[in-house]
Amino acid sequence: MNTILRTQLAGAGKRPARMLLTGLAVLVASFVVYATVLAQQITERSVLNGLSGTPEATDLVVRGGEVTTGDLTAIGRLPGVAETVARAENGIPLGAGYLVIATDPGSGPLSTVKVTEGRFPAATGEVAVTPRTVERMDLPVGSTIPVKPEGGKPGTLTVVGVVQPRDDVGFLAYGSLDTLDAATGHAFIDRLEVRLDPGADARAVRDGIAPLVAGESPAEFVTGSEARHEEARAAAAEVEQLFIVVRVFVAVAVAAAGLIAASTFRIVFAQRMRQLALLRAVGAGRGALARALAAEGALTGLLAGTTGVLGALALGHPLPPAVSLFGLELSGPGLPLIEAAGTVLLAVVITVLAVLAPAFSAARVAPLEALRSAATSGAKQGIGWFRAVVGLLFAVAAAGMAGLVWRNLPAPDEQDYPAETMMLSVVGSGFLAFIALIALGPVLVRPILAIAGRPLRMLGPVGRLAVGGVGGSTRRAAAVSVVVALGVTLITGVLVGGDSIRVLANREAVASAPADFQVEGAPGSALPAGLADRAARSPEVTRVVAYRRVPEVKVGDMEGGTATDLSTAALPRLSELDVRSGSVAGLAPGRAVAAGYLELRTGDQVTVSAKGKQVRVTIAAVLGGSTPLRTEILLDPADLTALGAPVAPTGVLADAATAGEDGRTSALRALQGVTGAGSDVRVEVLADQRDQVDSALAVLMTIALALISLTVLIAIVGVGATTALSVVERARESGLLRAVGMSRGGLRGMLTTESALYGLIGAVLGVALGVPYAWLAVSAIGLNAPLTLPVWQLVAVFVLLVALTALAGVMPARKAARVSPVTALGTD
Amino acid sequence: MQRQSSPVTGRESQAAVAAVGLVKVYGAGDTAVRALDGVTVGFERGRFTAIMGPSGSGKSTLMHCLAGLDTATSGQVLLGGTDLSTQPDRVLTKARRERIGFVFQSFNLLPQLTAAANITLPLDLAGRKPEPEFQDRLITTLGLSGRLGHLPAELSGGQQQRIALARALVSRPEVVFADEPTGNLDSRSGAEVLGLLRDSARNLGQTIVMVTHDPGAAAYADRVVMLADGRLAGEVHDPDIASVTDALQNLAAGR
Repeated sequence: MNTILRTQLAGAGKRPARMLLTGLAVLVASFVVYATVLAQQITERSVLNGLSGTPEATDLVVRGGEVTTGDLTAIGRLPGVAETVARAENGIPLGAGYLVIATDPGSGPLSTVKVTEGRFPAATGEVAVTPRTVERMDLPVGSTIPVKPEGGKPGTLTVVGVVQPRDDVGFLAYGSLDTLDAATGHAFIDRLEVRLDPGADARAVRDGIAPLVAGESPAEFVTGSEARHEEARAAAAEVEQLFIVVRVFVAVAVAAAGLIAASTFRIVFAQRMRQLALLRAVGAGRGALARALAAEGALTGLLAGTTGVLGALALGHPLPPAVSLFGLELSGPGLPLIEAAGTVLLAVVITVLAVLAPAFSAARVAPLEALRSAATSGAKQGIGWFRAVVGLLFAVAAAGMAGLVWRNLPAPDEQDYPAETMMLSVVGSGFLAFIALIALGPVLVRPILAIAGRPLRMLGPVGRLAVGGVGGSTRRAAAVSVVVALGVTLITGVLVGGDSIRVLANREAVASAPADFQVEGAPGSALPAGLADRAARSPEVTRVVAYRRVPEVKVGDMEGGTATDLSTAALPRLSELDVRSGSVAGLAPGRAVAAGYLELRTGDQVTVSAKGKQVRVTIAAVLGGSTPLRTEILLDPADLTALGAPVAPTGVLADAATAGEDGRTSALRALQGVTGAGSDVRVEVLADQRDQVDSALAVLMTIALALISLTVLIAIVGVGATTALSVVERARESGLLRAVGMSRGGLRGMLTTESALYGLIGAVLGVALGVPYAWLAVSAIGLNAPLTLPVWQLVAVFVLLVALTALAGVMPARKAARVSPVTALGTD
Repeated sequence: MQRQSSPVTGRESQAAVAAVGLVKVYGAGDTAVRALDGVTVGFERGRFTAIMGPSGSGKSTLMHCLAGLDTATSGQVLLGGTDLSTQPDRVLTKARRERIGFVFQSFNLLPQLTAAANITLPLDLAGRKPEPEFQDRLITTLGLSGRLGHLPAELSGGQQQRIALARALVSRPEVVFADEPTGNLDSRSGAEVLGLLRDSARNLGQTIVMVTHDPGAAAYADRVVMLADGRLAGEVHDPDIASVTDALQNLAAGR
């Protein structure tokens, strides 16, 4: 055994590039695994700093109880207390919106804001506002805010500075507790933050504070770090869940690396077939040979795992200082040793698992192979019956599971639908389908190649030879393509699923926020006369649409509904409404559009009544959700008037004339100017809500795609390694082609095309699996989301994948083309 | 029987390919090996010439240089009047594709291509149309008619080598180089292939240069060129096994 292993290792030592290539996929996988560990460390540590609202210097947090200003002074005098901050906030109506006033010390370790302009308020009646508030509410330094506290006399607040908080919501001011009291009449202290002197006894301070703040409900004490953890947990619950998802994707990447490693080992051992046969001929046992090969695999795993971990450390540690150059603050990842050891162990285990099957099949080599001259690379074609049966069984199981999900798809708005179980079934079915794909891959390669290769064959001998080269060893092609397919399936799934959810979110946004701004008074009350006209004349806004909204409407049997006569033609965004049946254009006197949950059908007759008056309408269209502006029924203006609604509009919708934050701000100011202060008419920025949904979705998609790119990276590494090894394996073939007159460029082109073909086959398989499964998952999730096909995104992914896999073949192809034909022909 | 090799002058006009003062040195300094040490020799058009010599005599190197597979250190390789020795790889590739054919000891067929596709490979690479009549004649002559759809792995060694021979001949090259074409064949298949090589020269006017160490194989040639230590060491015209063996023995004795 030792001799055999030594022979093999000596061989590997002579050609370290080969060892690196076999281990490359595992190396990348262990890099990814450990990088994920480090990323979680960085994120968790940074989250504690970033997502927690409690300043780091806080030692003690007091919540509940009853705190008065006098108590504050008393607490400040307690021995060991360095600083006490009372947190409170309350809102005041301002113009057409609200302004929230919060307290903050303004400086020192317990402050959560940074002064960027002017100064922090020192006296009662002074406030500092956030930058976005300056823009949105037109409150530059020096401006005044009229206030009328409940049960107090009216006064003004003066803006003396601009401060940057952690989160700038755009309607936020900071001032002292007294200012808050003066402005709102309420200064209810939510919590106290206490900073202690160094070395002070926290327990003693706590016992000192407790009687001072005792009230109806007992005060709750937590340490600063506990409070920070709690807040971070709450804020980072998403982060936590995110990392669960990350781990799933990393696991997929590791499995992909295992597949790639197995395929590369198979190729490497095939190259050494003669040498192995020779060892068998001189008396090495099969078991000993297999053990030696497995040991070599373990060693490869050890080396690859260690290198991957070191690589992740080398990348993770300079990261925080690097991003700090861009003003971002991240914590260092530290050195999690147990995880490092675990990662290396995982690499070894994966590699050993990957090497076992190839090692045993290689050890089965007949000693006679050694004596055979002119070893034609006996790449096995097709699959045996056992593999075929296993593959078919898994395919049937996958189809059965998918069929079960298909039959139990939820009805629209079905209650108590087990979405989670169904999603798990979809994932399970996909997993089974993938095992089937791995088993049946070699059989699938040929038909795909026959179709996809046709245009290549037309390109001349280089294309024909490339197609022939890939088709010549379908097992190798399948082994690599399946991993590419895994990546493409995941990408396709995310793109299709994301697109469906985006369309769904868009439809909901269209129904609830059909324009950028909404101007409305109290429910059912008409806007001041001429407001709509004045708004329409403002150059800052466009598409100004007046509408009436009538509350307390009875539609059929349903009471308490709302009706509107919003013109769908005037708002282009309404073309994206989720129309389930009929056509919104059919709206006319006597015809109406109904919300889906009214359970009316197109063509139904329904009576709409309000305050004793009633109209009878035919349903022209039914929507998926509510009708625009969260109403139940959309009527023709004439019908709404017949219901007794006054002619004056109750609201106005408008879009900003120019895109972007500046356009939105100036439009908001213009509308606020039109409505004027004092009235109960409010301007709502619907666009902000829409943006939040959009950006949240974009972030989720980016994260998901970033994770999947790990699998894709490993797949591409696999394609590169396979091309490189197949180039080595077929050196004689390259030599012959050069000898009979293929140019260097031709050979390069042929080998690069071959590696692109691996990508092409994988991409075809991936899209073929990914789209149906994504649709099944979207249907099974029970959100009534539409099935969409983001064609251009998929085409882009397809092209990119094929280009990347072609790129992976460029280096090996160049290397092969450089070798002289004589040398290549002489290679054994 | 054995004559001193005549100067190339006068003969190179008929020569399909010729070497003039060809030197090939492998390595440098103390470890340098002069594989070819000033070889001047011509190979007549339409004739079957064998190159013989003991192991390490430089016969394979000479063939590789003549065939544009390898570049010489100094001297000239004249292929139909073109000096290959100074040409870049692009020109050598084109020459190999259009003007030279090869038959190797280990057949070197592409395993994924059928016999027919292997045969037309050089034409494919050159983007040339096959001449159907010539190709049919070739295939019939070589006895490959029933084997065209097979993959190399499904064929015997002799059949594979005949496909390799068809591949070399199909583009009607100026010279076909054969490197120990019978080295991997049993004697009967070997004799078949050698007979086909001789017939190609006689019936098709194909210039053939074969490297071999087997006097039996060399006896099929019109002329045998002897090589020893990288130099020309005589030649035999219209050889038979006895004369070639004699010449080889003289060569060994003369050293």
